[in-house]
Amino acid sequence: MTTRSLGQFYPVSSPVHALDPRAKLLATAVFVVGLFLIDSMVGLLFLAAALMMLVAVSRIPAGAFLRLLRPVLFIVALTVLFQVFFSREGVTILEWGILEVHSGGLRLGFFLALRILLLVSSAGLLTATTAPVALADGIEDLLSPLKRVRFPAHEVAMMMTIALRFIPTLGEEAEKIKGAQAARGADFSEGGPLRRARSFLPVLIPLTVGAFRRADELADAMESRGYKGGEGRTRYRELRFRASDVIALALTFFLLLVGILL
Amino acid sequence: MKLELRDIRHVYARGTPFEVEALRGVSLVVEPGEVLAIVGGTGSGKSTLVQHMNLLLVPTSGEVLVDGVDATTLKKSELRRRVGLVFQFPESALFAPTVEEDVAFAPRQLGFDEEEVRERMLESLRAVGAEKLAARSPFALSGGEKRRAAIAGVLAMSPEVLVLDEPTAGLDPATRVDLLTLILSLRKSGVSVVLVSHDLDEVAEVADRVCALRKGRVSATGTAAEVFYGAPAQAPVTVQVASLLRESRPGMGHPVRFDETLDTLRALQGT
Repeated sequence: MTTRSLGQFYPVSSPVHALDPRAKLLATAVFVVGLFLIDSMVGLLFLAAALMMLVAVSRIPAGAFLRLLRPVLFIVALTVLFQVFFSREGVTILEWGILEVHSGGLRLGFFLALRILLLVSSAGLLTATTAPVALADGIEDLLSPLKRVRFPAHEVAMMMTIALRFIPTLGEEAEKIKGAQAARGADFSEGGPLRRARSFLPVLIPLTVGAFRRADELADAMESRGYKGGEGRTRYRELRFRASDVIALALTFFLLLVGILL
Repeated sequence: MKLELRDIRHVYARGTPFEVEALRGVSLVVEPGEVLAIVGGTGSGKSTLVQHMNLLLVPTSGEVLVDGVDATTLKKSELRRRVGLVFQFPESALFAPTVEEDVAFAPRQLGFDEEEVRERMLESLRAVGAEKLAARSPFALSGGEKRRAAIAGVLAMSPEVLVLDEPTAGLDPATRVDLLTLILSLRKSGVSVVLVSHDLDEVAEVADRVCALRKGRVSATGTAAEVFYGAPAQAPVTVQVASLLRESRPGMGHPVRFDETLDTLRALQGT
């Protein structure tokens, strides 16, 4: 069984889930750009509050959403530590040997941590509320103007869909192979880092071989069902921009403007 | 060696919306030198169950006993050696450049000296009828040959209990027969075999006892005949009707001839 992690779709029905994937993609892009335009703490806190409300509207349990953030906590902690100990701005709050903590560093560390967390949460909210296929459709549609300059928008979207689809499959396969090698006496936890890395070879090799085999099989299966690229291909689910999508986008712009002005 | 599972429960993805209770209290014993078959539909918990036998999966509750000793107190490598587990489609875990190196992997991990490793490798390749494949790349073999090589990779540990998870799935008839012969010869040499299978013919052929799983519980144990023909309440309705008829009308249940039927019909009409 796979554990939930960053970027996984959380299938419940909510107003956020129902939005057009293109609207959500654009809103996330705008939000992320906005995060870097804001340089006041109040502005960031305002956006954090707005995002929290959005999470509540999306009906994703707070606990599950926070778990999505777990993988980046290490980076966040590292950033904070760097800022706190290496910045020499503001008044000295603490002195301990060669280590000094300044108020400026503390403030900057907190600011950056908040920015990273907001960045990741907004992207996490996008992927948690949008099915991978819808996401890929949205990306294809947004990239389609580039088709004029021969950019393979459909192919890129198809690659993304397939990659997303096979992450859990590969995960399961890896678990299985790990079990099979453990049954043959492989130990993945003993020894130094080099030995441990080596001990994963018996898992990585068959996993890679299997992935290539699967790619071949999938290509054959797609071709035998008549797949020949995006040209003239119709969709079962047509994307439609509705009033709610326009409102959602407008709201995002408005919130960011408020955030920047604060 | 006697392997005993006591009231094993296993819950996957506990505490998430994806929680599944795969085993709901399974108890069974693998007696020394017997072939125990585990049967059951897909999703009945067979594969989860066998992974508890060498503690690849740790039960949510319940215990595994090896000759009466709690298996969690044994060294992991020792337990894995004594209880050899062959996964379903074990060929997907072949990884070495040659078959001989792949088969030698387990004994090498267990720390045997090179001479012993080589001996065990050759012996187990012989046992599965794959000695000719030793120098080949495992990725260039046919499906049946891969399966033989993969099983040899576990046999090389000389396990006291060999657990095979659907070893004959998708195999050609020749390899299948060889495998069943291997199981019987292992039993002869005192190794217990646990065989997970969907093929009831093959189970009836080699198993001393059968354990049927249903929705994570043991629904029947006994000899193949007891499990397959016993408990009529659980048989399909057609079978129930047929056995009821046979009981109430002795003489029924043998092939019917045309003139016999005609005679019966005439007698009934009184002509």
